[in-house]
Amino acid sequence: MLMDLTNQLLAETGLPRSAVDFTIAGSCDYLSGLPFAFVMNVDGFGAWPPVYESHLEMDGAWALFEAWIRLQMGDIDIALVAGSGRSSPGIPREIFPLQTDPYVSAPLGLDPVSVAGLQARALLDAGLATERDFAEVVSRSRRSGLANPNAQVKKDVAVDALLKEPYYASPLRKHDLPPISDGAAAVLIARGKRARELTKQPVWIRGIDHRIDSHHLGLRDLTDSPSSRLAAKGVALHAGPIDVAELCVRYSPEEIVLRRALELPAGTTINPSGGPLCGHPVMATGLVRVIEVAQRIRDGSARRGVAHAASGPALQQNLLCVLEA
Amino acid sequence: MSHLPPVRTQLEYPYTRTTGPIVGAFLTALRDGKLLGIRCGSRVLCPPLEYDPESGETLAPDFVEVGPGGTIQSWTWIAEPSRKHPFAEPFAFALIRPDGSDTQLCHAVKATGPAALRTGGRVRTQYRAERRGAITDLYFAPEDEAESQYIPPAKGAVEMTEHLISLEFTEPLSPHRERYARALLDGRFIGQRSPASGKVYLPSKGYDPIERVRMTERDDVGVADTGTVVAYTVITPVQYYGQKETEPYIRASILLDGADQPLGQQDIRTIPLAEFRSGLRLQAIWKTKAERSVVDVDNRWGGTGTVIERWEPTGEPDVPFEKLAEHNW
Repeated sequence: MLMDLTNQLLAETGLPRSAVDFTIAGSCDYLSGLPFAFVMNVDGFGAWPPVYESHLEMDGAWALFEAWIRLQMGDIDIALVAGSGRSSPGIPREIFPLQTDPYVSAPLGLDPVSVAGLQARALLDAGLATERDFAEVVSRSRRSGLANPNAQVKKDVAVDALLKEPYYASPLRKHDLPPISDGAAAVLIARGKRARELTKQPVWIRGIDHRIDSHHLGLRDLTDSPSSRLAAKGVALHAGPIDVAELCVRYSPEEIVLRRALELPAGTTINPSGGPLCGHPVMATGLVRVIEVAQRIRDGSARRGVAHAASGPALQQNLLCVLEA
Repeated sequence: MSHLPPVRTQLEYPYTRTTGPIVGAFLTALRDGKLLGIRCGSRVLCPPLEYDPESGETLAPDFVEVGPGGTIQSWTWIAEPSRKHPFAEPFAFALIRPDGSDTQLCHAVKATGPAALRTGGRVRTQYRAERRGAITDLYFAPEDEAESQYIPPAKGAVEMTEHLISLEFTEPLSPHRERYARALLDGRFIGQRSPASGKVYLPSKGYDPIERVRMTERDDVGVADTGTVVAYTVITPVQYYGQKETEPYIRASILLDGADQPLGQQDIRTIPLAEFRSGLRLQAIWKTKAERSVVDVDNRWGGTGTVIERWEPTGEPDVPFEKLAEHNW
């Protein structure tokens, strides 16, 4: 997957592989079920000439963050960033509890679906959402996915039909969950002068910020996302218009939480790609959000937008990236 | 042609963790049928933390017994439990504020059904008959479904926890690996010749990682079952979890005649170490057809299954080091 993306990026820019100064990938060995699986990312980039590379056991959006900081050091110009993961060989619900506290949560098999159920109920109890609101997020997202060639799940389903489905992790139904996906994403970033040489329509990263809430669910208010609020301040999200927002909504209630925490204006288009509810290639999902925003800026349908990436249960970790034409 | 069975992998890590003074006291109390919180300024935190979550200051081990009753702050009914959940039948996860605590504990509630649960509802601690000083010693039940229990305290403090991580993975063999595996069952090696560089990869990954080109069935080529040792090591088994070996053995990389990539991880059990060396010429001795299996051929590193009985010296002169330099590391 990574090799095809690398070849596509090099073909589009006309760059030889040797012109890439730095490569960095996000992936998860637990997802692959193989120790040192991340080493094979290098194959995707091309093993020769040797790469100057780094790796994160995080979504590719965090790899982008590192590459962006690395380029700001000024000694190199071009970085290739990727995120990839295949969730289909394993059982994600059994793997992801391992992200949680090893003494009090992981032994319970406390998985992201269950935690999303707790978050959903907290929103209902607080009067901040209804089950219909969750279904509306799903209905709108999967309809938006119809226009996205990369969407794995896409359909036009009415809210009322969704609300008739049985509960899976009440008050959530199976359709409130993302599909199990295999996928990869890659992006090439360059410093200003080189970017202008490589394309007539550069998309600029104006800011990236990453914040984390407590890993103890019992200390958190699940109806809010203080770390997203902090990240929004960090990237000066409201310093300009927000034409488009691609949010890492893996479970429909997360959109309600993020809309409130990010205080998105009424005119912002949310998840025009359909978002993770249409495809959730873990470890690439966040980077895909960045790419979706960048593509809309490049095609002129947006001037300024925000991409959001998340990690951990119930939006524990949040990263925001502001992009501009 | 029917497909070979999918690759099944079991990944296991037996984690042993020290508990420290705070988590250790919490788990010891659980084993003895008590739920502990810790004082943090004017608040009580359950589960107890080693630090103040606001300031990061270390907390003194000033414990308070909380519960056994508690109030549900949020809950979700799990219709289809995973194999890692505390109950095989449907149950609830809930955020529970134990009486006397200012924070919530996320735990499982065993109940007759979702109708028995509501936010603000009362639950009570329940303990498993067999307790080992782990969070799973405990669960909750709605107050009117809970049983009264007598939990006799045990001796000693819980200083370690054991957590076996055990995950399963299943995926079909990639088409190129399936052809490679079928050839092994036939007593043959097949590799793939890169259309870009002409180099022969074995076992192939289905692409040339240097030239970044995909390879197809048209690029399949036969490779001899004779070759040259290009590197080896002696493994002295350490008796870790899952170890099946007891005696030292040789693992060798063998560059098969006609391949440009050595076949790694070959077991050498019948050639004495004193006679083993890089440059040595070897011939594969195949198992009988009935004995051959490729269950451990996977999509990543490859493997050679159990098709090879042993590697035997051919008696040819050694290949000089200079001719192997590219592969000798």
